[in-house]
Amino acid sequence: MKVEYEPYPEKTQLARYIQDYPRSFTRNPKQALIRRPLTLSERTGPVALDRRLAIHAEDMSAKEPGGPRAIGQFIAVTGRVMDEDGVPLAGAVIEIWQANASGKYIHELDRHEAPVDPNFTGLGRFVTGDEGQYKFLSIKPGAYPVMESDWWWRPPHIHFSIFGPSWMNRYVTQIFFPGEPLNETDLLLNAVQDPEARDRLIFETTPTTVGAVNMLTFRRDFVLRGKRRTPALD
Amino acid sequence: MSLPTSPYCTIGPFFPGEFADGCCDLTNFAGKQARGPHIMLTGIVVEEGNRPIRNAIVEIWQPDANGVFRHPLDPRSKEADPGFFGWGRARTDGEGSYVFRTVLPGAYATEDGAKRCPHINLMVLAIGLTRRLVTTVFFGDGPASDPLLDCVADPGRRARLFAIRDQAVNGAEGLPVYRFDIVTRGEAETPFFLD
Repeated sequence: MKVEYEPYPEKTQLARYIQDYPRSFTRNPKQALIRRPLTLSERTGPVALDRRLAIHAEDMSAKEPGGPRAIGQFIAVTGRVMDEDGVPLAGAVIEIWQANASGKYIHELDRHEAPVDPNFTGLGRFVTGDEGQYKFLSIKPGAYPVMESDWWWRPPHIHFSIFGPSWMNRYVTQIFFPGEPLNETDLLLNAVQDPEARDRLIFETTPTTVGAVNMLTFRRDFVLRGKRRTPALD
Repeated sequence: MSLPTSPYCTIGPFFPGEFADGCCDLTNFAGKQARGPHIMLTGIVVEEGNRPIRNAIVEIWQPDANGVFRHPLDPRSKEADPGFFGWGRARTDGEGSYVFRTVLPGAYATEDGAKRCPHINLMVLAIGLTRRLVTTVFFGDGPASDPLLDCVADPGRRARLFAIRDQAVNGAEGLPVYRFDIVTRGEAETPFFLD
């Protein structure tokens, strides 16, 4: 059955132009985006990308399995990746990048004067299982200032890059933590007008565990574009 | 049932260089060398005022030299070049420059018999872009009809979808260089498709 990929409904998405986010005004095309038909070229995409990209250990909270753990709040992140029909997308590669507990990225462009954690890279790459599920362990990222701004602090968030089975459902986003005061003022999170859609950028809390395994668990499912044509009802 | 799609968001300023390392060479896969003519595909990514965009991520997806995609939807996928995967990623440097080493993509016929001219799908991610920008890079002199090219009526804009063979420059090991500059916003803006 043929999968349909409709243009992203604006209501579900961030605005393209965001006040006080100057680059959105200098980088988005001025000309209208051109509608095009989808052929095999756009419908296909990199599947089994784990044959091309190295997959990491599930635990990002230490550099090596069993090695010293990074400083910060230990978290587990889980969820499922599916299409618009709710069909799980198995074998999808997920890439993660995030700041450490003090809000510092290991990146040549990060000028924030916060310490690097020797036991934390903030990078992860995983593959979804048969039910589209993923899981990784990490450290809750810290907030950090946007150096080009005189007021904007980014709330804690984790970057996700997901490869669905088609060029049309290549997906990239940032997921935020519930109840963070900085969520109220973040220009990106609040660029989603619809409150229900905005909630899709925020982790759900799930029961924490204390005992043999201690962790704060956060959950986020992802719906990537793509649905099968519904047969007409006569 | 139709679930609402998750919101896209920008990669921000700190996309890890490690995620791009080694991804810009598409000419080897599973220990084999890709068939067909190898080329360099290079250009700069600029914003308004022709200012280079640093740390932009450019990703490509293309068929092999015979026009076959490594994907189950392609009826010819069993013939896919075992030395070619078809996906690549590059990160722009301080001058906004990116470079891929890949194969010249082959043409192929769509299900309804239309011909797709040799092309590479390309997308750009960068800080300031809340969603990816998608375009298509075409090769050749552009006489033929192509279902995507035909959506771009203006000849000047259409011409901007073609990679230009740079006769004066040879890439690594003397490979032919094709140039495709990406203007996300500006006078010579690259045509982008509704995504």
